[in-house]
Amino acid sequence: MNAKHIARLALLTTVALILFTVEAQLPPLVPIPGVKLGLANIVTVYAMFRYGPRDTLLVLLARVFLGSVFAGAMMAFFFSLCGGLLCWLVMIPLRRILTEQQLWVCGVIGAVAHNVGQILVCLAVYQTAAVLVYLPALMLSGIVTGLFTGLAATFLLKWLKNRI
Amino acid sequence: MIKTRTWVILFAAAAVLLGALSWYLLSRRTEGAVAQVIQDGVVIREIDLSRVSREYSFVVESPDGGSNTVLVQPGRICISEADCPDKICVHQGWLTDESLPIVCLPHRLIIAIKDPASGTDAVGR
Repeated sequence: MNAKHIARLALLTTVALILFTVEAQLPPLVPIPGVKLGLANIVTVYAMFRYGPRDTLLVLLARVFLGSVFAGAMMAFFFSLCGGLLCWLVMIPLRRILTEQQLWVCGVIGAVAHNVGQILVCLAVYQTAAVLVYLPALMLSGIVTGLFTGLAATFLLKWLKNRI
Repeated sequence: MIKTRTWVILFAAAAVLLGALSWYLLSRRTEGAVAQVIQDGVVIREIDLSRVSREYSFVVESPDGGSNTVLVQPGRICISEADCPDKICVHQGWLTDESLPIVCLPHRLIIAIKDPASGTDAVGR
Protein backbone atom coordinates (compact mmCIF):
# COMPACT_ATOMS: atom_id res chain seq x y z
CA MET A 1 0.00 0.00 0.00
CA ASN A 2 1.64 3.22 -1.10
CA ALA A 3 1.35 6.61 0.54
CA LYS A 4 -1.14 7.89 -1.99
CA HIS A 5 -3.48 5.00 -1.33
CA ILE A 6 -3.19 5.41 2.44
CA ALA A 7 -4.07 9.07 2.02
CA ARG A 8 -7.10 8.16 -0.11
CA LEU A 9 -8.38 5.69 2.49
CA ALA A 10 -7.72 8.19 5.28
CA LEU A 11 -9.75 10.75 3.36
CA LEU A 12 -12.60 8.28 3.00
CA THR A 13 -12.43 7.48 6.71
CA THR A 14 -12.58 11.18 7.51
CA VAL A 15 -15.62 11.71 5.33
CA ALA A 16 -17.36 8.71 6.89
CA LEU A 17 -16.49 9.92 10.37
CA ILE A 18 -17.81 13.41 9.72
CA LEU A 19 -21.07 12.02 8.31
CA PHE A 20 -21.34 9.68 11.27
CA THR A 21 -20.70 12.38 13.88
CA VAL A 22 -22.94 15.00 12.29
CA GLU A 23 -25.73 12.48 11.94
CA ALA A 24 -25.47 11.57 15.61
CA GLN A 25 -26.42 15.17 16.42
CA LEU A 26 -29.67 15.01 14.46
CA PRO A 27 -32.84 14.27 16.39
CA PRO A 28 -34.28 10.79 15.82
CA LEU A 29 -36.65 10.57 12.85
CA VAL A 30 -39.02 7.97 14.28
CA PRO A 31 -39.44 6.79 17.88
CA ILE A 32 -37.93 3.37 17.21
CA PRO A 33 -34.47 2.74 18.67
CA GLY A 34 -31.88 2.04 15.99
CA VAL A 35 -33.59 3.79 13.09
CA LYS A 36 -31.30 6.33 11.46
CA LEU A 37 -30.17 7.44 8.05
CA GLY A 38 -26.80 5.73 8.20
CA LEU A 39 -25.05 8.28 5.99
CA ALA A 40 -21.67 6.66 6.62
CA ASN A 41 -23.01 3.75 4.58
CA ILE A 42 -22.44 5.88 1.47
CA VAL A 43 -18.73 5.66 2.09
CA THR A 44 -18.82 1.91 2.77
CA VAL A 45 -20.69 1.18 -0.45
CA TYR A 46 -18.45 3.46 -2.45
CA ALA A 47 -15.26 2.02 -0.99
CA MET A 48 -16.45 -1.53 -1.56
CA PHE A 49 -16.84 -0.95 -5.28
CA ARG A 50 -13.92 1.34 -5.78
CA TYR A 51 -11.27 -0.28 -3.60
CA GLY A 52 -12.52 -3.75 -2.66
CA PRO A 53 -13.33 -5.61 0.57
CA ARG A 54 -9.96 -5.34 2.30
CA ASP A 55 -9.65 -1.56 2.11
CA THR A 56 -13.33 -1.17 2.95
CA LEU A 57 -12.84 -3.17 6.12
CA LEU A 58 -9.99 -0.87 7.15
CA VAL A 59 -12.10 2.24 6.56
CA LEU A 60 -15.08 0.68 8.30
CA LEU A 61 -13.17 -0.40 11.40
CA ALA A 62 -11.41 2.94 11.72
CA ARG A 63 -14.69 4.80 11.35
CA VAL A 64 -16.58 2.64 13.84
CA PHE A 65 -13.81 2.91 16.42
CA LEU A 66 -13.24 6.65 16.05
CA GLY A 67 -16.97 7.27 15.75
CA SER A 68 -17.69 5.78 19.15
CA VAL A 69 -14.72 7.63 20.62
CA PHE A 70 -16.15 10.94 19.42
CA ALA A 71 -19.88 10.38 19.69
CA GLY A 72 -20.92 7.48 21.80
CA ALA A 73 -20.59 5.05 24.60
CA MET A 74 -18.98 1.63 24.60
CA MET A 75 -22.35 0.02 23.94
CA ALA A 76 -22.79 1.98 20.74
CA PHE A 77 -19.40 0.70 19.63
CA PHE A 78 -20.52 -2.93 19.73
CA PHE A 79 -23.77 -2.14 17.96
CA SER A 80 -21.94 -0.28 15.20
CA LEU A 81 -19.23 -2.89 14.94
CA CYS A 82 -21.53 -5.88 14.61
CA GLY A 83 -23.86 -4.07 12.22
CA GLY A 84 -20.93 -2.81 10.17
CA LEU A 85 -19.26 -6.20 9.90
CA LEU A 86 -22.44 -7.95 8.80
CA CYS A 87 -23.04 -5.19 6.29
CA TRP A 88 -19.49 -5.66 5.00
CA LEU A 89 -19.88 -9.45 4.75
CA VAL A 90 -23.02 -9.37 2.60
CA MET A 91 -21.54 -6.73 0.33
CA ILE A 92 -18.61 -8.92 -0.71
CA PRO A 93 -20.61 -11.32 -2.92
CA LEU A 94 -22.80 -8.47 -4.16
CA ARG A 95 -19.75 -6.77 -5.54
CA ARG A 96 -19.40 -9.51 -8.14
CA ILE A 97 -22.99 -9.70 -9.36
CA LEU A 98 -23.87 -6.01 -9.55
CA THR A 99 -23.11 -3.56 -12.32
CA GLU A 100 -22.06 -0.03 -11.50
CA GLN A 101 -25.55 1.30 -12.19
CA GLN A 102 -26.92 -1.19 -9.67
CA LEU A 103 -24.62 -0.06 -6.90
CA TRP A 104 -27.58 1.18 -4.88
CA VAL A 105 -28.71 -2.44 -4.38
CA CYS A 106 -25.59 -2.86 -2.29
CA GLY A 107 -26.65 0.09 -0.14
CA VAL A 108 -30.10 -1.40 0.48
CA ILE A 109 -28.91 -4.90 1.35
CA GLY A 110 -26.01 -3.51 3.37
CA ALA A 111 -28.29 -1.28 5.42
CA VAL A 112 -30.72 -4.12 6.09
CA ALA A 113 -27.80 -6.35 7.13
CA HIS A 114 -26.50 -3.58 9.38
CA ASN A 115 -29.82 -3.34 11.19
CA VAL A 116 -30.08 -7.12 11.49
CA GLY A 117 -26.61 -7.15 13.01
CA GLN A 118 -27.69 -4.56 15.55
CA ILE A 119 -30.70 -6.63 16.54
CA LEU A 120 -28.42 -9.64 16.96
CA VAL A 121 -26.22 -7.71 19.40
CA CYS A 122 -29.36 -6.53 21.15
CA LEU A 123 -30.52 -10.14 21.47
CA ALA A 124 -27.18 -11.20 22.87
CA VAL A 125 -26.99 -8.33 25.34
CA TYR A 126 -30.53 -8.24 26.68
CA GLN A 127 -31.25 -11.98 26.35
CA THR A 128 -34.86 -11.39 25.44
CA ALA A 129 -36.84 -12.10 22.30
CA ALA A 130 -38.84 -8.92 22.91
CA VAL A 131 -36.35 -6.97 20.79
CA LEU A 132 -37.37 -9.03 17.74
CA VAL A 133 -40.54 -6.94 17.63
CA TYR A 134 -38.38 -4.20 16.16
CA LEU A 135 -36.81 -6.42 13.48
CA PRO A 136 -39.32 -5.86 10.64
CA ALA A 137 -39.44 -2.12 11.33
CA LEU A 138 -35.66 -1.90 11.34
CA MET A 139 -35.37 -3.93 8.14
CA LEU A 140 -37.94 -1.70 6.49
CA SER A 141 -36.03 1.38 7.57
CA GLY A 142 -32.91 -0.30 6.18
CA ILE A 143 -34.55 -0.60 2.77
CA VAL A 144 -35.58 3.05 2.75
CA THR A 145 -32.37 4.56 4.09
CA GLY A 146 -30.25 2.07 2.14
CA LEU A 147 -31.94 3.19 -1.05
CA PHE A 148 -31.00 6.75 -0.25
CA THR A 149 -27.40 6.07 0.73
CA GLY A 150 -26.99 3.51 -2.06
CA LEU A 151 -28.14 5.97 -4.70
CA ALA A 152 -25.86 8.61 -3.21
CA ALA A 153 -22.96 6.17 -3.53
CA THR A 154 -23.94 5.36 -7.11
CA PHE A 155 -23.78 9.02 -8.07
CA LEU A 156 -20.59 9.45 -6.08
CA LEU A 157 -18.88 6.61 -7.94
CA LYS A 158 -19.96 7.95 -11.30
CA TRP A 159 -18.87 11.48 -10.40
CA LEU A 160 -15.52 10.61 -8.86
CA LYS A 161 -14.55 7.96 -11.34
CA ASN A 162 -11.81 9.83 -13.13
CA ARG A 163 -11.12 12.43 -10.49
CA ILE A 164 -9.33 10.74 -7.63
CA MET B 1 -26.37 -10.11 -13.96
CA ILE B 2 -29.73 -9.62 -12.30
CA LYS B 3 -31.88 -6.99 -13.95
CA THR B 4 -32.46 -3.72 -12.14
CA ARG B 5 -36.20 -4.25 -12.46
CA THR B 6 -35.92 -7.53 -10.56
CA TRP B 7 -34.17 -5.77 -7.70
CA VAL B 8 -36.77 -3.01 -7.60
CA ILE B 9 -39.63 -5.50 -7.50
CA LEU B 10 -37.83 -7.55 -4.86
CA PHE B 11 -37.25 -4.57 -2.58
CA ALA B 12 -40.74 -3.17 -3.10
CA ALA B 13 -42.28 -6.52 -2.17
CA ALA B 14 -40.02 -6.83 0.86
CA ALA B 15 -40.87 -3.28 1.94
CA VAL B 16 -44.61 -3.89 1.74
CA LEU B 17 -44.29 -7.17 3.61
CA LEU B 18 -42.07 -5.73 6.33
CA GLY B 19 -44.26 -2.65 6.62
CA ALA B 20 -47.34 -4.77 7.24
CA LEU B 21 -45.48 -7.00 9.66
CA SER B 22 -43.99 -4.17 11.70
CA TRP B 23 -47.28 -2.31 11.79
CA TYR B 24 -48.91 -5.45 13.12
CA LEU B 25 -46.18 -6.11 15.69
CA LEU B 26 -45.84 -2.54 16.92
CA SER B 27 -49.56 -1.87 17.19
CA ARG B 28 -50.03 -5.13 19.10
CA ARG B 29 -47.40 -3.99 21.56
CA THR B 30 -49.55 -1.14 22.88
CA GLU B 31 -52.05 -3.74 24.11
CA GLY B 32 -49.67 -4.01 27.02
CA ALA B 33 -50.98 -0.72 28.44
CA VAL B 34 -52.93 -1.96 31.44
CA ALA B 35 -54.25 0.47 34.03
CA GLN B 36 -54.22 -0.68 37.62
CA VAL B 37 -56.49 0.77 40.25
CA ILE B 38 -54.68 0.38 43.55
CA GLN B 39 -56.37 1.03 46.86
CA ASP B 40 -54.35 0.93 50.04
CA GLY B 41 -51.59 -0.93 48.24
CA VAL B 42 -53.92 -3.61 46.84
CA VAL B 43 -54.74 -3.88 43.15
CA ILE B 44 -58.51 -3.87 43.09
CA ARG B 45 -59.02 -3.54 39.36
CA GLU B 46 -57.04 -3.97 36.14
CA ILE B 47 -58.21 -2.43 32.89
CA ASP B 48 -56.65 -3.11 29.49
CA LEU B 49 -57.05 0.36 28.00
CA SER B 50 -56.53 -0.82 24.42
CA ARG B 51 -59.59 -3.05 24.68
CA VAL B 52 -61.91 -0.35 25.93
CA SER B 53 -64.33 0.36 23.10
CA ARG B 54 -66.60 2.92 24.71
CA GLU B 55 -66.54 5.23 27.69
CA TYR B 56 -67.65 4.03 31.11
CA SER B 57 -67.10 4.97 34.73
CA PHE B 58 -67.18 3.33 38.13
CA VAL B 59 -67.01 4.48 41.72
CA VAL B 60 -64.32 3.41 44.13
CA GLU B 61 -65.36 3.68 47.76
CA SER B 62 -62.65 4.02 50.34
CA PRO B 63 -62.99 2.34 53.79
CA ASP B 64 -63.36 5.72 55.55
CA GLY B 65 -66.35 6.75 53.49
CA GLY B 66 -64.77 8.77 50.68
CA SER B 67 -65.39 8.01 47.04
CA ASN B 68 -63.70 8.60 43.69
CA THR B 69 -65.34 8.25 40.30
CA VAL B 70 -63.01 6.74 37.73
CA LEU B 71 -63.71 7.49 34.08
CA VAL B 72 -62.39 5.13 31.41
CA GLN B 73 -62.14 5.90 27.70
CA PRO B 74 -60.36 4.00 24.92
CA GLY B 75 -56.66 4.31 25.68
CA ARG B 76 -56.96 6.61 28.69
CA ILE B 77 -58.22 6.86 32.23
CA CYS B 78 -58.87 9.61 34.78
CA ILE B 79 -60.60 10.41 38.03
CA SER B 80 -63.57 12.56 37.09
CA GLU B 81 -65.04 13.20 40.51
CA ALA B 82 -63.90 12.91 44.09
CA ASP B 83 -65.09 14.06 47.48
CA CYS B 84 -61.62 14.57 48.86
CA PRO B 85 -60.81 18.13 50.04
CA ASP B 86 -58.05 19.04 47.55
CA LYS B 87 -59.19 17.25 44.33
CA ILE B 88 -55.61 16.89 43.17
CA CYS B 89 -56.47 13.53 41.61
CA VAL B 90 -59.22 15.12 39.49
CA HIS B 91 -56.97 17.95 38.40
CA GLN B 92 -54.30 15.54 37.30
CA GLY B 93 -56.44 14.76 34.27
CA TRP B 94 -56.01 11.93 31.81
CA LEU B 95 -53.46 9.19 32.19
CA THR B 96 -52.36 7.52 28.95
CA ASP B 97 -48.91 6.08 29.57
CA GLU B 98 -46.74 4.67 32.29
CA SER B 99 -45.46 8.10 33.35
CA LEU B 100 -46.82 9.88 36.43
CA PRO B 101 -49.62 7.87 38.09
CA ILE B 102 -52.79 9.52 39.38
CA VAL B 103 -52.76 9.63 43.16
CA CYS B 104 -55.52 10.46 45.60
CA LEU B 105 -53.67 10.62 48.87
CA PRO B 106 -56.64 11.16 51.23
CA HIS B 107 -58.39 8.04 49.90
CA ARG B 108 -55.15 6.09 49.44
CA LEU B 109 -56.00 5.49 45.79
CA ILE B 110 -53.47 5.15 42.97
CA ILE B 111 -54.12 4.67 39.27
CA ALA B 112 -51.04 3.63 37.36
CA ILE B 113 -50.37 2.14 33.94
CA LYS B 114 -47.96 -0.71 33.71
CA ASP B 115 -46.35 -1.50 30.40
CA PRO B 116 -44.58 -4.85 30.22
CA ALA B 117 -42.43 -3.70 27.31
CA SER B 118 -41.24 -0.53 29.01
CA GLY B 119 -38.39 -2.34 30.75
CA THR B 120 -36.64 -3.26 27.52
CA ASP B 121 -37.51 0.08 25.95
CA ALA B 122 -35.77 2.15 28.56
CA VAL B 123 -32.57 0.11 28.22
CA GLY B 124 -32.91 -0.33 24.47
CA ARG B 125 -32.54 3.33 23.92
